[in-house]
Amino acid sequence: MPALKHSLLALRLLARDWRGGELALIATALVLAVSCVTAIAHFTDRLTRAMHIQSQTFLAAERLVNSSQPVDSAWLNKAREFGLQQAETVQFASMLAAGDEFQFAAVKAVSDGYPLVGHLEMRALEGDPSRVVQGGPPPGEVWLEPRLLPLLKLEIGDSLQLGDTQLTVSGLLDHEPDRSDNLFSMGARLLMNLDDLPAADILQSGSRARYRYLFAGDDQALEQYFTWLEPLLTEHQRVIDLREGQPRVASALDRAERFLYLAGSLAVLLASVAVGLAARRYSLRHTAYVAVMKSLGAGRGKVLGIYVGQLAALALIATLLGLLIGSLVQSQAVSLMADFFPAEPPPSHWSPLIVGLATGFACALGFALPPLFRLARTDPMQTLRRDWSNPDRREWLGLILGPTSMLLLIWWLSGSLAITAALFAGMALLVGGSALANQLLIRGRLATLGGSWRIALGSLQRRAAFNTLLIAAFGTGLLAMLALVFARTALIDEWRMQLPEKAPNHFLINIAPTEVDGLQAMLADNQVTSTEFYPMVRGRLTAINGEPTKDRREQDNALRRELNLSWTDTLAPDNRILEGEWWDESDEGVSQEESEQGVSVEVELAARLGLALGDRLRFSIGGLEIEAPVASFRSLDWNSMRPNFYMLFAPGALEDFPATYITSFYLPPEQKLLVNDLVRNFPSVSVIELDKIIQRIRDTIDQVSLAIESVMVLMLVAGVLVLVAGVRASIAERLQEAAIIRTLGGRRRLLLHSLMLEFGLLGVAAGLLAAAGTEATLAVLSQRVFDLPFVAHPMLWLLGPLVGALLVGTAGTLACRSSVSEPPLKVLRELA
Amino acid sequence: MSTKLTAASTKLTAASTKLTALSAMLRAESLHHHVATGEGPLTLLNNISLQLARGESLAITGASGSGKSTLLGLLAGLDRPSEGRIWLAGEEITAMDEEQRAALRSRCVGFVFQTFQLLPGLTARENVMLPSELRGERSAAKRAGEFLARVGLEHRLHHYPRQLSGGEQQRVAIARAFASFSGDDGILFADEPTGSLDAGNGEKVIELLFKLNAESNTTLVLVTHEQRLAERCGAHLRMAAGEIKAGEADSGSLSEVSI
Repeated sequence: MPALKHSLLALRLLARDWRGGELALIATALVLAVSCVTAIAHFTDRLTRAMHIQSQTFLAAERLVNSSQPVDSAWLNKAREFGLQQAETVQFASMLAAGDEFQFAAVKAVSDGYPLVGHLEMRALEGDPSRVVQGGPPPGEVWLEPRLLPLLKLEIGDSLQLGDTQLTVSGLLDHEPDRSDNLFSMGARLLMNLDDLPAADILQSGSRARYRYLFAGDDQALEQYFTWLEPLLTEHQRVIDLREGQPRVASALDRAERFLYLAGSLAVLLASVAVGLAARRYSLRHTAYVAVMKSLGAGRGKVLGIYVGQLAALALIATLLGLLIGSLVQSQAVSLMADFFPAEPPPSHWSPLIVGLATGFACALGFALPPLFRLARTDPMQTLRRDWSNPDRREWLGLILGPTSMLLLIWWLSGSLAITAALFAGMALLVGGSALANQLLIRGRLATLGGSWRIALGSLQRRAAFNTLLIAAFGTGLLAMLALVFARTALIDEWRMQLPEKAPNHFLINIAPTEVDGLQAMLADNQVTSTEFYPMVRGRLTAINGEPTKDRREQDNALRRELNLSWTDTLAPDNRILEGEWWDESDEGVSQEESEQGVSVEVELAARLGLALGDRLRFSIGGLEIEAPVASFRSLDWNSMRPNFYMLFAPGALEDFPATYITSFYLPPEQKLLVNDLVRNFPSVSVIELDKIIQRIRDTIDQVSLAIESVMVLMLVAGVLVLVAGVRASIAERLQEAAIIRTLGGRRRLLLHSLMLEFGLLGVAAGLLAAAGTEATLAVLSQRVFDLPFVAHPMLWLLGPLVGALLVGTAGTLACRSSVSEPPLKVLRELA
Repeated sequence: MSTKLTAASTKLTAASTKLTALSAMLRAESLHHHVATGEGPLTLLNNISLQLARGESLAITGASGSGKSTLLGLLAGLDRPSEGRIWLAGEEITAMDEEQRAALRSRCVGFVFQTFQLLPGLTARENVMLPSELRGERSAAKRAGEFLARVGLEHRLHHYPRQLSGGEQQRVAIARAFASFSGDDGILFADEPTGSLDAGNGEKVIELLFKLNAESNTTLVLVTHEQRLAERCGAHLRMAAGEIKAGEADSGSLSEVSI
């Protein structure tokens, strides 16, 4: 019963306090905290899910099985039992005939249901705009990539011959989601119905075809199915998910996701600081309140009961309000940004609400409760002493409860120990630095200067303890902002570097040595710059130091297939020798013995095969054998869109073997028809067109970058709000002092300067510490979270203090301007 | 036989002391109070004993720093003395913990402070309701209205402290102090109640305080600098350096002041 009475009294006092404006401080901080975190959690959740949906379109499925043979039908029946959606595609290269015209094409036969994720885009007439369709062509019909029409001299509605069957061209294919699944599929695309494949009678046992079995459905069912399936797969079959199918997109999405989690964690950090500051101010302002209540007969238990009851009610109301505001903000943000989402934004989920709820209560518990415990210990004798200080004693609860609840929340929210550790490292540095600043303030002889400096430094020194807290709070706000800006810059720069604006988007392969000059001339005539023309000889690695590799085939895919071997005297820009020697031009040999100069091996393959410098590798090339020692290990960038090779020999070493050449070049969209001319003039050369897939990857990364930037802007706003909250928490005393100095004849300019100096210096100190904290945070983040090399950020050390001084100085001066502009008596009366 | 007699005599003395304490509204015995400072312990009160019956009034005067506010706080149970015993309304508050002392204060102690100490977020009526609400009484609002009427502020019920003059604020504080008593055993502690008021308002507040004190038969302990105010009290205790100045305890109607 007394508990009920306490609760009712707490609620009555809560209502009165609210009306009196006292609680607005803490409530605003809580609402801000919860709405920020909820909005970011919602946004992150929807964006992440949209990114996953988008990423799955690169596979046209959630997961697939790739096989060189048709698979056992029992596997597909089992998938049905698991309730999975499925579809099938068969891809192969085949000659098409239309009248007297013949053209090699990349054929793809698709079953009903294809694509399971994403969509196709086609046109029924050449002049029509593209439209989205959910399935492939019906039986008897095919859709062609537009480039095929002029090559085969066809029009829509005409027939073409594929194997033994005649099929009608009923549309032009503009987009297929999984176009990138076979980068080296040669020629332009023909899409047909799988039911027509038997009639074409084109695939015999042993034909080179790729069978893909697509699956989608409930995550758990997928997981269970693939757990069942994987032991049954042979060496010709492989499960492909996004990570394997599109490593570049997968890695970009992974990093983007981690960035968003980082942003969410920083939002929690900022929210905690805002609530902590507000609660401290509330507790200070309530010291007199509690001392009076105690002198009127309220014991510590009763006071605590009342305040904890109030806090619980307040946390509940503020959290609900924050959840509502956060949800509204994100839904507005998402609808405004819907066009930039990588896929249709999925509906809101309930989990961000839990995150918001947890944030509200963790902030209330961790940061607002400890000051209330201190408040309940208020000495009632203070009413007689008229001393309203609330000495920061027995802070252990606050020191432990606050950071612990914050770190636990961040850990839970980000699911990443590394992010939690990074923020912990940054904050530890910040708090340590603040303690040092405290000692400097207390012990330093700062107030020996004159004029506004003396007033500003004196004021800083008098409130050393509180100023230390402010430096830590401002520093946290700045750390959150700086860490996010620098992490974002690093990520986006990395992505842009991976896919530069004019990265090669077409490959030419199967170039006969006699065609090299002609091709080079044709490209030059059209102002197209290609990479080097690399010779290519296909060979199998058969022995390492005399030991045959046939028993080790399971160890690596490179031992199961023929490798493309090449030679050059010039290292490509993305290649780097890590160990061993690269041959220079003077070593250029002329005979097969020059293979003794050795082979340069890609470093990751070398590691997988356990190679050492000097190991002897034997290759089988068209029945002949060649042996060479490992001369160097070489790193390279597979994403550079340039021809790259696991094995590079010295010039001359492979000269006696029949070689074809390969090159890549960037072709702008307006020159796309050059591909037709190339195919016409060099019919044996195969063109691999990567322009569409590169554009899609680039679009996806651009959208993800934009999302990251919008989250960053949200966070910057939250960071500024924390700074303003910090300033507001500290102005009352400053206003009073300024009013007294003015009463005593202090001039406005002097006061204004001293205020600007005081807050500016606080900002500089906070900025310096934030720079140190951010550097520590980024060091952990780059290595443990984003897999980027660590680089120092000298700009950080300049920007931190500068931004700190500017933001804190401006916010502080603006907040205190009434002390300068209003009559001092009015200020004093209002403060009283 | 002699031992038995001694024991009986000791028991009798103890019983007599207890009886005296019970019959007195306020009794302090050999109070000492020290606080720790950077330069060693500082004595704030030294060997103070006093006793006050129900309905009596006591003025404590002295220079600033003489220990009068500290004594007031100890007598009201806001703090515990370093040594000595205090009985309030027949109960030994020096044997109680903080919660028990708070409970006792909520029944029979009222305060009037120099700077009023009204809670700024609460209206006049809500301020007066607070003690009753802390006791969990249902009729807090009605009772607060009655007390405010008694101090002549029935028309200011819904005003906030900042909307009231200094004199009015102190009258609200007096109403709150009288609303603090749940029964007949009330003792009102006033710490320089006119200290923040001009002479005219100070006079009115004092009149009110004594009038209500007489009407309610409450015991009054007040700390003041004003000789005139001290002279209106039944007893007068002059303090200097934490001690009662020798020969300056004015017994008057004071039951007992031992030095």
